[in-house]
Amino acid sequence: MWFKNVLLSVFVLFSLIGCSEQKMETKPTINIWHWMTDRDPAFQELAKKYEALTGVKVNFELYAPSDAYSQKIRAAAQGTNLPDVFGILGEKRDFASFIKAGHILDLTPYMEANNNSWKSNFFPKALAVNEFASGNSYGITPGIFGVPIDIMTIQMVYNKKLFSQLGLNPNRPPKTFQEFLDIGAKIKAAGMQGLVSGWGEVWMIDCLANNYAFNIMGKDKVLATIKGEVSYTDPDWIKVFSIFKQMQDSGILAKGLVTMINKSAEQIFANEKAVFAFNGSWCVNVYKGMNPNLEYGAMLPPEASNQYPIAIWGGAGSSFMVNARSKNKEESVKFLTWLTAQDQQVYLAQATNNLPANKDSLTKIPEILAQFARGMDYATHPNVWGVSEFSLVIEAFDRGIQSIIIGEKSPEQVAGEVQKIKDREMAKKRAR
Amino acid sequence: MKHAFYYKTEKILTNTLIHIFLISVAVTCLYPLLWMIVSSLKTQDMIFKDISLIPHQFRLENYVQAWKEGGFGRNFFNSIIYTVSVVFGIVIISSMAAYAFSRLKFVGSKFLFIMFMAAMMIPIPGSFVALYVLLNKLHLRNTPIGYILCMINVGLSTSIFLLKTFFDKMPKELEDAARIDGCSKIGIWWHVALPLAKPVLAVVIVLNALTVWNEYILALIIFDNRQFMPLQVALQTFQGEFVTNYPLLMAGLTITALPIILVYLFMQKYIVKGVTQGAVVG
Repeated sequence: MWFKNVLLSVFVLFSLIGCSEQKMETKPTINIWHWMTDRDPAFQELAKKYEALTGVKVNFELYAPSDAYSQKIRAAAQGTNLPDVFGILGEKRDFASFIKAGHILDLTPYMEANNNSWKSNFFPKALAVNEFASGNSYGITPGIFGVPIDIMTIQMVYNKKLFSQLGLNPNRPPKTFQEFLDIGAKIKAAGMQGLVSGWGEVWMIDCLANNYAFNIMGKDKVLATIKGEVSYTDPDWIKVFSIFKQMQDSGILAKGLVTMINKSAEQIFANEKAVFAFNGSWCVNVYKGMNPNLEYGAMLPPEASNQYPIAIWGGAGSSFMVNARSKNKEESVKFLTWLTAQDQQVYLAQATNNLPANKDSLTKIPEILAQFARGMDYATHPNVWGVSEFSLVIEAFDRGIQSIIIGEKSPEQVAGEVQKIKDREMAKKRAR
Repeated sequence: MKHAFYYKTEKILTNTLIHIFLISVAVTCLYPLLWMIVSSLKTQDMIFKDISLIPHQFRLENYVQAWKEGGFGRNFFNSIIYTVSVVFGIVIISSMAAYAFSRLKFVGSKFLFIMFMAAMMIPIPGSFVALYVLLNKLHLRNTPIGYILCMINVGLSTSIFLLKTFFDKMPKELEDAARIDGCSKIGIWWHVALPLAKPVLAVVIVLNALTVWNEYILALIIFDNRQFMPLQVALQTFQGEFVTNYPLLMAGLTITALPIILVYLFMQKYIVKGVTQGAVVG
């Protein structure tokens, strides 16, 4: 009898140990590396919420500044020490090289599950940055490889107070290029500063010039020019170059604009010393820090032609990728799905002043952010064009516009010079 | 009389010009420091609106906030440990190596020395990925000892070069005298060479302390764990991609700069000697 009791006791004991072991099974911890200093407190808060909700701990690790972060990611990839979730900074070819090395999970099946329920949350143009289309030049299997956390657009902003001082309606920014130029005359007469921007960092000139190129000749002709099928001396391109001369002549451009860095431009606009600025949506956060009482609105660059819609640069601001080798990849995908859901996106937008990637979040965010986000309908980006211009041509193009603004060269002269470099680069390419 | 007046005027003019030059150099050096301290006492919007060097309100709480938000306590301690360990390691290894290169004749000494000098030409960021992979294989990644060893390695070449140049010019008679008194090679290095090399060692200490104290990229790459990070990494907390919290960044920078300024002040007389050492040795 006692033997049976002992056996029973042993059985009960083992069962209890077995049960207790099952109870002790811990949920995974998701490790996420990022570089976004301004978003870190909001990420930490969301991680706490997620843990309370699911029991899964999410560990956001901040490694700033972004250039050091990029080096860390590359080194970790070499040592196969990448975390469960991470972001990649750089060009699309860097992104492609990580995919080729097997570091990034193809998210297409997750995005398209349940009748595209996750995919349909996003602005399509935000997803495009993380997507590789069929026949892409990188040789990547078509699919979606990243999750946009937020988006950005580059537009114009105007100071409402200075608009009133100029006798203009602060709720009606100029829609046509002629209206814009007319304001230039008023600005000149009032002795104010017109448009400020970081045109000393030439890529912002390139951005506005491309906006007007799309408006004047349409996307197809712009891309045909990049492919070498249309010349930069084409009358439409002369019109694009002339836009800058017209702006300079009207007095809409601030003094010293061609050498201005964006930080200075932001400071001038935030201190209410300039009527317009050309800047990215990140400026909302910047202006808030510099002058919390600044009253301003966002607007698309005024149209110079009614033939084609104006285009602005925009797309995914920051994105996260899932480590294809992570043992927590399913949990990571679940967390990213939750992070990009409407409530979390609204919280992120409100806490960080970045534009949400979830298109259903626009009604619940501050109006200035919503204005920037609505620009996504007009967004494009060189990364999604599928063709890219030679860097020497871009340099000549941007420097040429600077020369037009300072009155050193005419639009025709610049067009000729740019085309000359384009011909040279095309010849070199053909020779290869 | 006329000559005396001429010479007096010339002397005054020369002195005035020299003083103007020196004052302008001093202002150029001190102004950024002053701006940093002043900005650390302002609010974010006041930095952009008010460019005066005397703030209307002194926000000393910026220092407390920077210390807390940046998690400076732990990072400050880490930086001190890393700086002391690395500088100590460099002083011991480089002085021994430099003495050996200068005094001992062994096969391949010139080749080895040239290899060390060649290492000086490699930019540090160029070796980050290689160092990461090496530490990973040695299981030293994400460990303080791995970081300390890397930083010792970074500082060795320059330090060996400086010390060897000094030892080459050191009179051999001093060593002979020590040898007659029964000193071994290690004894000569410890009792004769090192005490004489104090000014050069001061330069080695300051240069390397500065490098280690200001380093953050390698730390960021090697460490995954924030508790191992040095002070400079904490400073990056205030510097965003588009937005920088200038008051807290400047307060943090002021806190960070203080120890290194103290090291400079403490070793000032040796540094001047060390820089001019070539002329006074022997």
